[in-house]
Amino acid sequence: MSVLYELRGLIEQKIKADGLDDVQIKGEIGLRSGRLISLISPRTPDDPLAIAKLRQAVKEVLKISL
Amino acid sequence: MKWNSIRTKVLAALAACLLAGVTGTLILLHYSFVRNSEALASESVNSAQRLFRILEARETSKMAAVADTLVMNPEVRDAFAAKDRSRLLKVTAPLYLKLKEQGITNWLFHTPEPDMSVFLRLHAPAKFGDRLDRFMDREVLRTHSLVVGNELAKAGFAVRIIRPFYDSHGQLTGYVEFGEEIGRFIHEMKSQTGDDYGLLLSKRFVSRQFWTDTNASLKRRDNWSDHPNFVVADNTSATDNIIQFQGDLAMLAKQGTALERFNVGNSVFVRGIFPIFDAANHAAGAMFVVRDISGTYLAMRNTQNLLVLLSVVSLLLGALLVLTLLNRLVFRRLEHIIGVATRVVGGDYESEILVGSRDEIGRFEQLFEQFRCVFVDLLANVPEFQERK
Repeated sequence: MSVLYELRGLIEQKIKADGLDDVQIKGEIGLRSGRLISLISPRTPDDPLAIAKLRQAVKEVLKISL
Repeated sequence: MKWNSIRTKVLAALAACLLAGVTGTLILLHYSFVRNSEALASESVNSAQRLFRILEARETSKMAAVADTLVMNPEVRDAFAAKDRSRLLKVTAPLYLKLKEQGITNWLFHTPEPDMSVFLRLHAPAKFGDRLDRFMDREVLRTHSLVVGNELAKAGFAVRIIRPFYDSHGQLTGYVEFGEEIGRFIHEMKSQTGDDYGLLLSKRFVSRQFWTDTNASLKRRDNWSDHPNFVVADNTSATDNIIQFQGDLAMLAKQGTALERFNVGNSVFVRGIFPIFDAANHAAGAMFVVRDISGTYLAMRNTQNLLVLLSVVSLLLGALLVLTLLNRLVFRRLEHIIGVATRVVGGDYESEILVGSRDEIGRFEQLFEQFRCVFVDLLANVPEFQERK
């Protein structure tokens, strides 16, 4: 399982836990990171740059560090 | 507030317009007031000069008419022809009292040439026999007809007439002269216009000793040293403070000069000055005019406040209208596009951008909706997307 997929899971957990608008939050993170969250699968290859961008986007949108 | 947003920039531009508008209005009104006060100062000088000439003409006509009537009076004519001073005084004294009430303060009989001395002064009967030798005296000797003009003499600056006097046979027996103090005019002018006036005499035409004697006889302060070039002979104001002029009366423009605007407490005044020429055409004196323009100033201030208020209100309404239009036509629709784009990226592929109008933003909405369709179609062929389904 890739790091990117793990991060997707953590994002979805956070959204669910906080009762946030799933589509809106994923959209904002996706636009900031340049990646469609819903298309991240266990087989998605890890790319350090993509991971860093996704973490940064999460930090900006959800105000948490993953 | 985001400093880089269009809304902030538009607001800043509108605030700048508001500031420029109000500043422009204030500058324009100040300029207008300065021009108006200059015009009022000129007008006060012109109207004072006009009024002075009218009074001068009226009084000289009156004195000329009195002189003409007097020549036809046999008692006066005979007494003067006989050079009987006491008889002449007796027959003219009652008339002098009446004329004095009308402002005629000086009345003289002169002997004929060659000596032309004062035979009788109705206003100072004990004083006679002196030769005056003024410009008007020389003129009446030269022309043997009525001479009219202002003359600065020991009795003061007066508008005078002098004419030949004849006996019953038409022989010249001397001259008769009437005079009226110009100082009296300024009080009449004040009662007519409400403006304040000051009568100035050039020091070139007034001797220091004469001025000291005059002030002593009138029991008033010797103001010789108050001004370098002139003395204030009379003034309708309580003090001489309103008279602020440093120039030379001889250098004044014939039509007068509007001077500056000044404030005393809450009142605003303008002042001006015009020369008064004597019979020899010398600028021997001048009339100083002070007009209270507080009413005009107050009206201008009220107009200024009203215009500033109107400018602010209209610009605020304009700003509100512009911002409302921008919000409806641009900002709200851009936010809708951003919202749809975000939701599509977030996985809501069914969100559509509604094209609200065929304007510039409408074309962008249409383009973005087309782009969304292409994106969703492209996504449908991605393996991860198909797996997700």
